[in-house]
Amino acid sequence: MTEEPFEPVKEKEASFDAKTPVTGQTKMQAAWSANPDDDSGAQIASAPQGQIFEQVYQPWNGELNPRWMRNWTILRHHILGIFKKGHRPWNLVTKLFVFFVIIASLTDVAMVVLFGVLGDSYFYDLWGVNRNNLYGHVLGFFPRNILYYPILAALLVGGIISEDRTHGTSAIYFSRPINRFDYASMKFLSVAMLLLLVINGTLILYYLSEILVKGRGWAWIIDTFPMFLGAFLSGIILSFTYTSIGLSLSSISRGKFFPAIGLIAILMGTKAVASIIDRLFENSILYVISPFDSVCHISQELLGIESTYNHPWAWSLASVVLVNGLALYLLANRVSSMEVTRE
Amino acid sequence: MDRELIIESSALTKMYGPHLALDSLDIRIEKGATGLLGPNGAGKSTFLKTILGLIQVTSGEGSVLGYDIRTQGEQIRQRIGYMPEYDALNPNMEAIYQVKYCGELIGMNPNVALQRAHQALEYVGLGEQRYREVSTFSTGMKQATKLACALIHDPELIIADEPSNGLDAKSREFMLNTLNITVQSGERSVLMASHLMEDVERLCDNIVLLHKGRLAAQGKIEDLKAIDKEVEIHVWGAASKMEESLKDSGLKVRREGRVMRIGHTGDETYSQILKSAAEVGSQVRKMHDYEASLEDLFLVIMERLGHDVKSSDELLEGSI
Repeated sequence: MTEEPFEPVKEKEASFDAKTPVTGQTKMQAAWSANPDDDSGAQIASAPQGQIFEQVYQPWNGELNPRWMRNWTILRHHILGIFKKGHRPWNLVTKLFVFFVIIASLTDVAMVVLFGVLGDSYFYDLWGVNRNNLYGHVLGFFPRNILYYPILAALLVGGIISEDRTHGTSAIYFSRPINRFDYASMKFLSVAMLLLLVINGTLILYYLSEILVKGRGWAWIIDTFPMFLGAFLSGIILSFTYTSIGLSLSSISRGKFFPAIGLIAILMGTKAVASIIDRLFENSILYVISPFDSVCHISQELLGIESTYNHPWAWSLASVVLVNGLALYLLANRVSSMEVTRE
Repeated sequence: MDRELIIESSALTKMYGPHLALDSLDIRIEKGATGLLGPNGAGKSTFLKTILGLIQVTSGEGSVLGYDIRTQGEQIRQRIGYMPEYDALNPNMEAIYQVKYCGELIGMNPNVALQRAHQALEYVGLGEQRYREVSTFSTGMKQATKLACALIHDPELIIADEPSNGLDAKSREFMLNTLNITVQSGERSVLMASHLMEDVERLCDNIVLLHKGRLAAQGKIEDLKAIDKEVEIHVWGAASKMEESLKDSGLKVRREGRVMRIGHTGDETYSQILKSAAEVGSQVRKMHDYEASLEDLFLVIMERLGHDVKSSDELLEGSI
């Protein structure tokens, strides 16, 4: 059915006097009503009005996934945010630095490929896979553990928990079926996995490049695989330690700067103090306060290379366990105090 | 027949050390819109955390949507949508991804969550702005985004903490309308904590009033208003004598100039007023039943609790 585009004026009987307010409508009515003979012919335009915004509540009856899927969401949100849009918005500096560190960490891979292709055995042996080079890939101090990994860890942990305090976004987790253990552990895993991706991911590429370039066989792999595993485990311990210290600092802060600079200060400060004491008194014992050196000491034992420390490695192991324990205790404590209704 | 209860508690008590935050609350909240009112420190936040299953109660029991608040917090939080008072949004995320993430955290599949995020943002009036970063949003748009986050999984109960806080008149109107549509046509329930009694009165049929951790009042606003029924008269001449006469006849009188409100005790109140007017020679120029506002109701309740309160602002600021 089509609607009539015009309808008759309804206000035929309208009267106008001095008190009638002068509006556009009254003017029009007065004009149409001026001649009584024209009443029946008066028409005004009428058309159905369009609905620009119709607010309709739409129900949803879908199935909800279980706990592990919700945890996977948190993990994915943080990790994929580095690489694509629509997830956690990491800042550009962090994204670029991740890219830079991955490239920079592949220098030994590049050297292996270069000298493998050139066939220069001296330089190849210098860069090829062995105990010291595997150790150096993960725990070499300069440039990796002064310029790359601590700074990368600092950039990654900076706002990971503190931003939830700042923006109040802890409420979006805790008002949903996410418990505090899941929240903290998924945040922890996100940072640790990004660090592992850079440190151990490039270690795997390094090891594979040797196999491919030199055409290494099973005998070589069986010989060197325990060393590779030792280095891999060292990478896990290093990533775990950096992450736990960094996250605990992030959990006690409201900004990004303090956790980041705090992590670097702890790692570099303790090493600097221990190094000075070692130089002055030729005693390495104070390195137990340095998380980085403690991990190095453990790694040297794991890989079977000559130790650069003169105190027992078990002390370094105890130090790493203690530091991580304290950091995780602080993290758990602070996360449990995060509010839902008001932060 | 009893209406469906969505929140029920019995002797619900919560103590933080020696501090009693909730004192033996017996609350029954029906399906529909309910306002949660109370001054700062009344226990509103503690009550919300309790019904979300986030904190363990000291004693008593309670259920939300049939789930035990002591043991089934996870199931409760899957079925409710919580809209916090403060921003609770990542300012650097686009609204669509923020809402999608909230859906995924509930347990929705990513694709489904994205589809629902579009619908939810359209529903709250942000269809055109959904790809904008939250940091560029006005307060009203942020509130709408939070509501979309709460609604994405179509919860049975929406807990809205100060949903109209800081909004201009237009945004406030839209927010209340949206919540109203959610209740009326969506057939969902809303528990709204608010300081703005006008908003509560407009949206909610029921209220729960907490004061110092105790339940001060609960029930239908209409029923509660009946406890404060008054007759308002406008008198001309001998107003003071008229006031005295009415008080002498046992009626409760509140007077401001020529306007008096007399406590309604029954149909005989009207004849008593006219009789007093005739006695003192006063003209009653206007007489009608006075419809109490929620604020009036508040003042009466607080008066009955033994507090001398001048306004609801004073009450809600927690100065008493």
